Parts: sequence; structure tokens; C-alpha cells
Amino acid sequence: MDFSLTEEQEMFRGHIRKMLDTFGGTQLAREMIDNNPENLKKVYTTLAELGCSGINIPEEYDGMDLDALDLVPTFEEMGRSLVPGLFMETSALVVPTLKKYATEEQKQQYLPAIASGEKLVSFAALEPFNDFSPAGIQCALVQQDGQYVLNGTKTLVPEAELADAFLLLVRTNQEDQEDGLSLVLIDKTEGMNIEKLSSFDESKHVAKIEFNHLIIKEDQIIGEVDKGWMQLQEGLLYFNAALSSYIVGAMESVVHMATEYAKIREQFGQAIGRFQAIKHSIVNMKVHLEIARSLSHYANWVVDTDEFDREAAVYSARTYATEKFIEVSAHNIQIHGGIGFTEEIDCHLFVKRARYYDQYVGSTPFYQEKVVASLGW
Amino acid sequence: MDFSFTKKEEKFRTELRTWLEANLPEGWLEGKRDLPEDLDEYSRVLRAWQNKLYEGGWAAIAWPKEYGGRNATLMEEIIYHQEMVRVKAPPLINYIGIHMVGPTLIDIGTDEQKEKYLKKILTGEEIWCQGYSEPGAGSDLTGLKTRAVKDGDRWLINGQKVWTSFGHVADKCFLLTRTSTHPEKKHRGITVFMMDMHQPGVETVPIVQMDGHKDFNEVYMTDAVATDADIVGQVDAGWHVLIALMLHERTGIGAELFTLEKQFNDTVELAQQYKVNGKPVIENPVVRQKLANFYARVRGSLLNYYKNLTTTIKNGQPGAETSIDKLVVTELNQALSAFAVEIQGHQGVLFDKDAVADPKWQHVFLASFGQTIGGGTSEVQRNTIGERVLGLPKDMGR
Repeated sequence: MDFSLTEEQEMFRGHIRKMLDTFGGTQLAREMIDNNPENLKKVYTTLAELGCSGINIPEEYDGMDLDALDLVPTFEEMGRSLVPGLFMETSALVVPTLKKYATEEQKQQYLPAIASGEKLVSFAALEPFNDFSPAGIQCALVQQDGQYVLNGTKTLVPEAELADAFLLLVRTNQEDQEDGLSLVLIDKTEGMNIEKLSSFDESKHVAKIEFNHLIIKEDQIIGEVDKGWMQLQEGLLYFNAALSSYIVGAMESVVHMATEYAKIREQFGQAIGRFQAIKHSIVNMKVHLEIARSLSHYANWVVDTDEFDREAAVYSARTYATEKFIEVSAHNIQIHGGIGFTEEIDCHLFVKRARYYDQYVGSTPFYQEKVVASLGW
Repeated sequence: MDFSFTKKEEKFRTELRTWLEANLPEGWLEGKRDLPEDLDEYSRVLRAWQNKLYEGGWAAIAWPKEYGGRNATLMEEIIYHQEMVRVKAPPLINYIGIHMVGPTLIDIGTDEQKEKYLKKILTGEEIWCQGYSEPGAGSDLTGLKTRAVKDGDRWLINGQKVWTSFGHVADKCFLLTRTSTHPEKKHRGITVFMMDMHQPGVETVPIVQMDGHKDFNEVYMTDAVATDADIVGQVDAGWHVLIALMLHERTGIGAELFTLEKQFNDTVELAQQYKVNGKPVIENPVVRQKLANFYARVRGSLLNYYKNLTTTIKNGQPGAETSIDKLVVTELNQALSAFAVEIQGHQGVLFDKDAVADPKWQHVFLASFGQTIGGGTSEVQRNTIGERVLGLPKDMGR
């Protein structure tokens, strides 16, 4: 029995942290607020040089063929600095989906390019006024005159302006209410109308994309037609395991901020961390962090096994992390008092990102139902 | 990361499981698990169980072999707790002797004390209680006022203890007393005695708890007698003894976590079987959401325990972060049992013989309020985590 990361994994964490610190940590997120992704691009180049982008890619496609668990330090460190961008979508959603469902040609086309850091892939699934469920996906891919034509609108597509390609979830069958969806992987083209939306998490860019008679080739469809929802679930497992790690890193940062501030901020002639009202609030944050960390480490281990609780473990890690991230980042503002309400201090960046991820590709009740259903209850 | 058990550990589990199946009281595994109401009878049955454990070599597995233990590893202790929870084994009447007094004597007791007490702890011949809390000394144990005063070649003890578990059946008490006063350093001047409970100067009065049980007692001492030979460690240095004792409490929280896990599984079963308007309550979406939430919290606390256990195995002793386990398991137990009562709807308040579900969740719910107080309140745990894990400044006055 050994429930801990290996020394190698912890050492790797050290490299990533050092690298992100040279870019100023959360400064990367702040630069995105100013629409300046130059340093973020440099971060990607460095991550690729360190091998991060190929960690879970098989060796025959120029990767390292390691496990989800080996990506945990990378995701935790990115979360610690709230690094925006498409690393998570690319490595934890697109790569597992391609590994499981793509044809050899599709793998050859994308996996080596992802491993080398050349290609970043965004995920276009959500639609205006619809939820994340088969019924909510109406963007239509229709066969006409021997070719596929795509029409419809996707929204909340992350960092569309930085993406080289998009994984799309589209409807190919109007009859099938349970599924009838298909996964499509396309490179960015002229025919896509990308419009940046303003989001209160300004450091995480989102866009609306309109597809107007975009021609899709058959070899751009991933896996089986009309089975897209079912096939997406595999990638979603890896994505949510990764997301829980990212959030653990962010929560770690928040707990650290609150603790250090409570040690130096003085009121009534003493450090406020001496007051139990403050101390116990920070302790509750720490407890949530440790439980979230334990759930996420297990989730990233179990996702590469066929244990009976594979799905329940991942989805409970996600719901616990997203819920507690909101709570912890909100308490952080309260503990900082007035200064925590300013733009200058990082507190607000975390609250906004917490809210963003809680509502991203599925809600808390959505994943809670998945936990219960996956256990056969 | 590795969640498997070694061959040796699996063998240990099989050996214990086989032994339990052959030796648990008649009908226990089939559900005949009621213990006698009558105190003498209750004590007799549980002493007999303790003695059986001793004869099988299962009474104190963590003790060194030379004192009658098995020199068990931490993982073997974990397996032991898992198996005991699995069969809902009878309570260990000499829990305090086995897990606290014995290991402390092995560590710092004199040869005479080891000779005199250890064997009887194992066999259940002498049951131990712990004399810690007093009416004026709860979370602040240093406020204790029970005094021990030297009188010729003996000590006379006067004062009152409260919340003494097993006090009504105990033969011996691991007693904290004040032997000198140091207003500035209240940790000084405390002495630990091993006091005989069967003497004219000692009177025990049971406390009726909010759940109707009488697990605890008040213990009144009026010129109770002890000798130098009954002192653990040095006079006035009892606080060191307490710290040594706490370090021996290695896996008790594990047992509580495995019990919590079992209670969660029972709750799921309750939700599947309990019907309102003819429909199992598990079909209610709100119940499903809450179950998922409890699943995450129960799994999370169990995994967190394994994480801390891994650290303990690597470092040789538990760190301050184990306070998180105690805090989480007790608060979660309270919330979970409240939920199990809640989903029974208006019938959830029915009690005892009229309770509509088994186990009796109403009892579990009421008893859960003791857990966030006993063994260090949740507030004390939060102070420990804040100060020793996060490094926040200590409270005023400490």
C-alpha cells in the first residue's frame, strides 16, 4: 500500500513550478486579460520541450506512453498559477479520445503534432441556451450530395483564437434522443466565424463559433457516427480527472495565500490568524483541499485501471473539487478583507475561475447523477 | 501508487477472518448481536470475548511479541480494523488498556509495572478506564483540580473526574492528578497514577447520555489511595506521559473510518429499500444528489487517511495532519446519520422498538454528537491543524 506520488513525479513538479515562476505565476493569467498570449505561447513551447505534451501519447506517435497519474504534477502546477489555455483540453480530452477511437491515419495526423506542441485543440460542444446533454447538442452535421455539411452555433469554446484545431460534438441523427451525436476533429479554417465573448473570468477566453455550410470530410469524423456522446464519455473521464488536479493546484495556491496573509496582517494588535474565526475558516479550506487532493490522486490512478469505481471516483473528484474551489476561493476574499475585494490582489482571479469550471461541460448535479448511476444505485 | 496488499498481508487477513468465523459468539455472524442489558452480565460477556481474543493471539497485535503481541505492522493493524468492522465484532471492553495504557507501560513503565499489569490487560482480567476530564477541565486539560498529596509512604487523592468511559466496569484507572501548582506553566505539576478502582475512596456514578445509554461515569475520589509504585513516569511530569501515550494511538481513527464506510454502505441500502408512497427513496433526485455528495466525502476521507498512513509508514510516526482525519470522520458521521434519519420522512423520528429501519439510525444520530466532543473537540482539532499544520499563531493564553 502506497498512496503517494513517486519521487520522479514530485521532481517533475519542481521543474514545472520553477518554469512557471519565471513567467511570474498568475501574471500569465493577467496577461490574457490584456489579450497578450505571448508568454503563454512560450510556456507551451517550454512544456513541450519538457515532454509534458507527450506524456500520455504512445511512443509510436513520439510520446512517452505514461499514465494519467504522470500528468498530475503538471496539471496541479498549472492550476497553482491559474495558467489559461488549451493544454488540458488537448492532453486530457482529445488525446484519450483519439487513442481510443481514432483511425490510424487520424492518429498519425494529430498525435505526433500534439506531442511536439505544434497543435493545440479546443473543444466545441456547448450551445446557447442548451445544457450539456444529448438533447442540448443541436448543431447539425447533415449528409448532402455525398458530403457532410455543418450548420449551427457553438458557444463557450475555450481559447478559440489560440486553437489549431477543434474537437466538435455535433448532431448527426435527429431521431436518436439518447445519442445520435458524432465527434468531429477539424483544423481551424476560414469558414468558421469565431467571435470572442466577454466572460467575467477575463483570464480565460471563450468564444462563439458559427458554422455556416462548413464542409466536413468523412475522415474528420472520430469513431462511429451517431455514437459520439457515448464515445465522448471516455475522454470526459480523463478530462475531469485532470480538471480535479488543476483545481487542487489552484486551491493549494488559495490556501497558501490565506494562511500567509493571516500570519502578517495585524488588527487589534495581533496577527489575525490568531483569531479562531479566521484560523478555523482557513483550516476548513485546508481540509477541503486535502480531501480534494486525495480524491483527485485516486481518480487519476483509477482512470487507467478497470476498477469498478472508475467512473464514480472521477466524477466525485470533479464535483468535490469544483464545489469546494468556489467555497475556498470565496473564503479567501473574506479573510483578506478590503484588499481582497480589489483588482490588484489575485483573490478574485481564483473565484472567477472556480465559477467558470463549476459550470463547464456539465454541472454539479449532472456529475452527481453520474456518480450514483455508475455505481448502479 | 499501489493499493494492493502483499501476500503476507493477505495471509494475515485470511488467518484472522478464519479465526473470527470460528470464535465469534454463537449466532453473531448471522445477526444475533444483542449484548446483555444487565451491567454485570454485559461485563462478563465482553471480558470472556477479550479473553478469547487473548487466547487466539488477537488481543493486542501491535504490542511486541515478548509482551504477548504480534509486533504487527501498521498495515496489519489496518487489516485488523477492517476485519473487525466487517463482522461488527463485539466492542473491546479493555480498549483503553490495550491501545493506551499497555503501549505506554511498554514504552516508559518500570519492569515491576510491566510484570504486574500487562498480562492482565491482555486477558481482560483487569479492565482499565481513563481519568482525564473534570467538570472544570475539558478541552483545557491543564485546568484539572484532582489533587494527589503525599501522606507518609502513600498518596491521598481527592477530586472528581467526569466522562470516564468504562468507569463502571473498570478495575484500574489511568488517572491524571495535580501534584504541584505552576500558574504560569500549567502543563507542569501533573502526575499520572494507576489507581485501583476497587477501594472505599472511589465512587462511580453513571451519566445518562442524550441517547439513553450509560457509557460514561463520574468518578468521585475521597482520600483514595495510591503508592509511588503506581506512578507512571516521574512525579510532576505527567504531561510527557500523555504525549507518549498519544503517539501510540496509531490506527484508532482507521477503525472509525472503516465504520463510517460501512455506515455509508448501510445508508445506500436503506435508500434502496426504504419506500415512501411505494417508491424507494433512492429514486428521488435530491436524495441521489446528496448520496453522491456523501460518496465523495466518505471516499475522500478514507483516501486521505491512506495518504496520511503512507506518510506515517515512511516517517515512522504520525504527523499533525492526522488531526484532519479525526475532524473529518466525526463531522461526517454526524452529517451522514442525520441524512439516514432524514430520508425516512416523518417516520424518521420513531425510536427504539418502533424505529422503522435497521440499524437504528436514530441511535447512531444521537450518539454522533459525542464524537465531535470526545477525544478532542472539533474546535481543538481545528486549532491543532491551524497551528501545527499551517503554522498559524497560537491562541491567546496558550
